[in-house]
Amino acid sequence: MKILAATALAVLAMTGTVSAQDFPSRGVTLIIPYSPGGSTDLLGRQLANELQAKWGQPVVVENRPGAGSMIGTAHLAQSAPDGHTLLLNTAAHSTAPAVQLNLPFDAEADLTPITMVATSPYVMVAGAGVEAEKFSDFLAEAKNRPMFFATAGVGSSSHFAAELLMQQGDLPADVVHYAGGGEANVALMGGHADIYISTTASVMPYVNNGQVKAVGILGGERYDLLPDVESSAENGIEGIEIDGWVGLIGPGGMDPELVARINADVNEAIQSESFQAVLEANFVRAGDTTPEQFQELVTREMALWRQLAQERNIVAQ
Amino acid sequence: MDMFANLALGLETALSPTNLLYCFVGVTLGTIIGVIPGIGTLAAISMLFPITFHLDPIAAIIMLAGIWYGTTYGGSTAAILLNIPGAPANAVTALDGYPMARQGRGGLALLMTTVASFIGGSFGIIILTLFSPVIAGYALQVSSAEYFALMLLGLVAASTISDSSALKGLAMVVLGLLLSTVGMDAQSGAARFTFGNLALLDGLSIVALAMGIFGVAEIIASVRKINVGDIDRKTISWSAMLPSRDDVRRSWMPLVRGSSVGSFFGALPGTGPSVAAFMAYALEKRSAKEPERFGNGAIEGIMAPESANNAADQTAFIPTLSLGIPGSATMALMLGALMIHGINPGPNLIIEQPALFWGLIMSFWIGNVLLVIMNLPLIGLWVRLLTVPYHLMYPSILMFICIGAYSVRYNAFDVFVVLGFGLLGYLMRVFALPAAPLLLGFVLGPLLEQHFRRAMVLARGDFTAMLERPVTATVLSLTGLLLVWSVWSGWRKYRARVRAQQAIEA
Repeated sequence: MKILAATALAVLAMTGTVSAQDFPSRGVTLIIPYSPGGSTDLLGRQLANELQAKWGQPVVVENRPGAGSMIGTAHLAQSAPDGHTLLLNTAAHSTAPAVQLNLPFDAEADLTPITMVATSPYVMVAGAGVEAEKFSDFLAEAKNRPMFFATAGVGSSSHFAAELLMQQGDLPADVVHYAGGGEANVALMGGHADIYISTTASVMPYVNNGQVKAVGILGGERYDLLPDVESSAENGIEGIEIDGWVGLIGPGGMDPELVARINADVNEAIQSESFQAVLEANFVRAGDTTPEQFQELVTREMALWRQLAQERNIVAQ
Repeated sequence: MDMFANLALGLETALSPTNLLYCFVGVTLGTIIGVIPGIGTLAAISMLFPITFHLDPIAAIIMLAGIWYGTTYGGSTAAILLNIPGAPANAVTALDGYPMARQGRGGLALLMTTVASFIGGSFGIIILTLFSPVIAGYALQVSSAEYFALMLLGLVAASTISDSSALKGLAMVVLGLLLSTVGMDAQSGAARFTFGNLALLDGLSIVALAMGIFGVAEIIASVRKINVGDIDRKTISWSAMLPSRDDVRRSWMPLVRGSSVGSFFGALPGTGPSVAAFMAYALEKRSAKEPERFGNGAIEGIMAPESANNAADQTAFIPTLSLGIPGSATMALMLGALMIHGINPGPNLIIEQPALFWGLIMSFWIGNVLLVIMNLPLIGLWVRLLTVPYHLMYPSILMFICIGAYSVRYNAFDVFVVLGFGLLGYLMRVFALPAAPLLLGFVLGPLLEQHFRRAMVLARGDFTAMLERPVTATVLSLTGLLLVWSVWSGWRKYRARVRAQQAIEA
């Protein structure tokens, strides 16, 4: 079986050595490691639409959900690095490997970060059971009454963001895991859990409807799309310098020229009017990074989350 | 008066030629997808999703919704005729539907499930029209503790869902519960029973399990006894399809109970048509005067689940539309179709987009009527399916099942899971182990476990805190009473048998 797989890979690799000039030579698959319908899926479908127009080749979205995005990522890691198989993921790309220690691939060597498509800070929203409207009030309330932080699942970025805030803010709180951001938001609305931290795409629809309230931004500064919401640093909580993102990832060992080519094409595609409209609807900004900038960010985050996982003892047994 | 104005607006929207066309396209596709075992709603909707970029949002969601509830209409067809559920929500319909078909009452079963689907669907739509905002508010109050209590009640009520020995039924429930624990534990992140296999980290797929245990097992079992000719042509005629007065009398209450149970579980985010169908079947059997008729072609056994899953299909739109919370991946995809067009579902949707909200609801009515009109003439055609030679029929069904299992998450591993469960299902048949309790344990198991553990975290480990919640306490006491009553009535029956035996011997 292994020999067969190796041969197949070798053949694929040989036929797949495509130079940056003649990419794409056939249809491109964009893997979304989540179920259809989520915010990443919708962003990915819009991106596929733009790239298809740009490349003149079909760009097909394939949902491969499971294991906090790692099933789709494992599939990507085994694909030929010819640019015809790509993946769109959130910061779960760097948080999940910190919890899942037995992944069948090396999260750094077997994957190539290509570009950041969108970014937003982590927004902290509070549910019906929380009285505070502002970050400062929240801190006082959370110290008085140990709160429940809802997450979108073990090892998700919302889980790590919650753990990071609890650590840096020295808050006596418990995390309670839900199956996805939708359930976490419901738990907040019903007052069953108190706080959920995630990217704007996951929380803003509910904030706008008045179902949950935005009480804080994680990071040094306020977010210009939510100017009235206080940041964590404003309230004396240091050491949180992470933003949420959605980025394009390729298999490991891609030709740097090809990476640069895809990077340039995607950065151009995300400036289009229709894509900007989707970004705006999600309260996120276009990423627009060089491959190096994005790679450096991913490497830095992976180290940060691994360390946090150890310190907070959140590694799966 | 407001309501009439709203309904008129909705009707006007839904009856526009474009929307009517997309409604028709949706329900037709839904019926076809439902009839073909394996191919599920999620796969179909995600394949059609790119079209919605170019459609008017109302037309798009009317079509996608049509696929969603149309599938449940069609899904009972293969369940009844072939013992192969078109979708997991129809699995329980096979329990009595298939025996009915074996008795030559297949046409009747199909007709009656169409009626049940229509009544269940209509009931759901009425609830959706009148009480959406109220129910959505209450649904939010349901916490993990209540979910746990409800699931436990369902599990206890249904643990004797099958006819064979209670011990075998219980063993299968436990096996189902065990199988449902495979995968990453949602509270600790620990991998359970995955043997280092990444594909197992997300658990076994319900579609693969249902298709394997029911579908593949049925095929393996039937291959040895070819009996194509035994379908009596007479059963296809109209007169044979019409229900007798007795059938109608028996169907009445199951319809009412099934629709209510279905509407309830559909409206809860987190449960759906499958859970609703199982719960309705369990309730029906529990409240029946002659529970031994179930599993042998009792008409109540198809009316209750089919009205329940269709009612649930409709009320599933309550949390989706009025809270913006999708209860399932399919619902999320429908929300996505709206969000692509800049429409944010939520409490303000009814106010901001009245044409869309009421138009969609009115399209449900139209869609349901279309489904009935479409399904009635088709019954004769479906029944004729049974006369297709098995060497053509079974390979194609197997192929569809494999495609269906694969298409859920593009994972070849799921195809092997189907085959594995097919073998298990066959062995279970050989040893007369019932399949339904296994599926039930598998469906309810994860809900039971996750909600219990979440409730315990939220109560900071204090079990008595759960009992302080009035609804939880009530449901848990009911469960306890039911358990005691079951044991007692079982003991009484056993005593009666022993006494009868002694009387004979004496």
